[in-house]
Amino acid sequence: MEARLLRRPALTCCHRLLLASRPITPAAASSPLPVTLQQPSAGARHKSTTRRTKRALNISPHTSFLGPPTTTDRIIFNPPASTASVFHTPFKFLPKTDPRRRANLMELFASSTTIKFNPTVTPDPADADADAADATAAQDALGPKIGGRVGKKHHMTKEDVLEMRRLREEDPMTNSVNRLAAQYGCSHLFVLMCCKAPREHKEKHIAAGELVKSRWGPRRRTAREDRKRRLEMLFNGQL
Amino acid sequence: MKRLRPERWTGQLLAARPGAPPASAGALRPRCVASRPRQLCLSARRQQQQPAWENDNDSFDVLQDGTDHARYPPLERLPASVAGYPSPLPERALKSAKLAALHARLSLPAKIPLQTMARTLVDASADENPQFNNANLAFVGHSLITYHVAEWLMCRYPRLPMNILYSAVYAYAGDEALHQVARSWGVESAAAPGGEVDPGLLQFSLDKPVTSIIKFGYKRVEAAYLEKFKWRRGISSRVVFDDDFGGVVDKTPGVEHEEPEEHEEREDDGMDDAEEGLSPSYTSYGTDETRKLAEKVHANFARATVGAVYAHCGRETAKAFINAHIMSRTLDLSKLFAFKQPTRELALLCAREDFDHPVARLLSETGRMSRTPVFVVGIYSGMDKLGEGAGPSLDMARFKAAMNALKAWYLYSPGDNVRVPSDMLAQDAKPWEPAHIDMGEIISR
Repeated sequence: MEARLLRRPALTCCHRLLLASRPITPAAASSPLPVTLQQPSAGARHKSTTRRTKRALNISPHTSFLGPPTTTDRIIFNPPASTASVFHTPFKFLPKTDPRRRANLMELFASSTTIKFNPTVTPDPADADADAADATAAQDALGPKIGGRVGKKHHMTKEDVLEMRRLREEDPMTNSVNRLAAQYGCSHLFVLMCCKAPREHKEKHIAAGELVKSRWGPRRRTAREDRKRRLEMLFNGQL
Repeated sequence: MKRLRPERWTGQLLAARPGAPPASAGALRPRCVASRPRQLCLSARRQQQQPAWENDNDSFDVLQDGTDHARYPPLERLPASVAGYPSPLPERALKSAKLAALHARLSLPAKIPLQTMARTLVDASADENPQFNNANLAFVGHSLITYHVAEWLMCRYPRLPMNILYSAVYAYAGDEALHQVARSWGVESAAAPGGEVDPGLLQFSLDKPVTSIIKFGYKRVEAAYLEKFKWRRGISSRVVFDDDFGGVVDKTPGVEHEEPEEHEEREDDGMDDAEEGLSPSYTSYGTDETRKLAEKVHANFARATVGAVYAHCGRETAKAFINAHIMSRTLDLSKLFAFKQPTRELALLCAREDFDHPVARLLSETGRMSRTPVFVVGIYSGMDKLGEGAGPSLDMARFKAAMNALKAWYLYSPGDNVRVPSDMLAQDAKPWEPAHIDMGEIISR
């Protein structure tokens, strides 16, 4: 058994060397495990013999445990220990006077998207554009964006708003909030802030909503109430 | 080797036995004097003369409540006149074992006399005379506690929003917390106040609650409408008008508590069980109102103790006492927060502080198509991660990450051992370095 344990890292290292030497295929790149040592696909949890089953289930450790051999101690971040404590202030949130900020200048440079290590070079507009593109690319490498639109365009003029109001008052059914938002390229909240539908339209809208709600059965109603309550609990820090 | 104490060898014979024949009062007195532990008197200064009423022999029957005094002789012989007092006489403090035990248990300095300790245990509802109840001491104690707690919180967590600061101060110095402190000191309460009770018991009356003013604050003109119309009390107005915890200054709690009782009495005319008619929340431990009153009384006792320490031992000792008993309690400040629109608040914060607009990014996920997915979302400003949160949906995780980022902002601390302004009052204190002052809240509440 010990011989196998010893052999396993050695095998993995050989595979890593092999992988490094040849062009990486997408499948191999996505998986942290060597190709031959990956787990069998779902549904094949046993083999015909005990030896083969044990061999198939004998998974090599995660690659982060198989780092280069070092003499010094190191920390393996696998898996993350727990959620980060909110009492650990992010570097960006430290005030200017905080001594921790001055003591950690490298962090300051690493976090900055504009400060570069070579201050002697005079800034060039083309370089600035390239830097901005670099910064965007670096930020996109952090992970896919989620959530709503980021940033505001501030492109609406007074005439636009007046025109939007007129359209909304003329025919609130055709010119719905979402339609106006799409037409003018703004958020629906902005439309709601600018325009005010006629009272009859509002009442009709609310009545239609009530009619839909009256058709809900107990399950759907409970589920929606629970969802609402869950969100409140999240905001109160109870989840 | 232990010292032999021949004078204690006959002590067991002196103990009062339930079946013993009634001894004459004159014969009982010297025994009591002989068996009184000497360590009750903490200093020579306090070994005063015996009160005059101990010497008269015909002062035995105080309680005419049908108790067989021959079989159960009272622990302490009292003159008949004590029944006329609302609280025990100060002289009796020197002979109360409970009081001496409390004094020793709290490791109070010998400078604090037992009489003052006895006074801290008399609530205003037991004795209305402010010269004999603890209202004045509680006022001093309350001011000191809230001052030290608020000052420490301000220096330790300079970015706390005002409403969280109020909650935190209340969590340290409010009635509930100080009630727990007083309970942990092992104080028992008397069944009913009166001149004959042991001075070591906490004395208060739930029947006739009396308001003792122990807090600063103004009575609002619109106080009556706040409840009625649910008027909003903004934080700024709370700072000006309300008490140290941002709560409305009580109008007249005595009146407030009488109203429901009258109402209930009218209701329970036809009821057989008197207990059910009292209040829907009635248990063997009383109603919600009585429990709340008892909590307040216990808290006032703890405050009065701090006031007594301050009055007799001075500023530094009082501060050390507050540090040891009140501020040593654990409070998780991150649990006090509640948000309404965390993402918007974070965006405003980043705009105010001139950071990049916050962007939520998916860091990892598992089980997206399953019943229990988990998404881990980080909030980034530029290349810096501000917060991270995990949740069962992308939105939940994003909100959680934004809340964590905001908490991280609000809970910034300059360090564990921050100096507070009152440290400068000590002798040969180092020069003061200005504490970090935040520019203010992001969203007015």
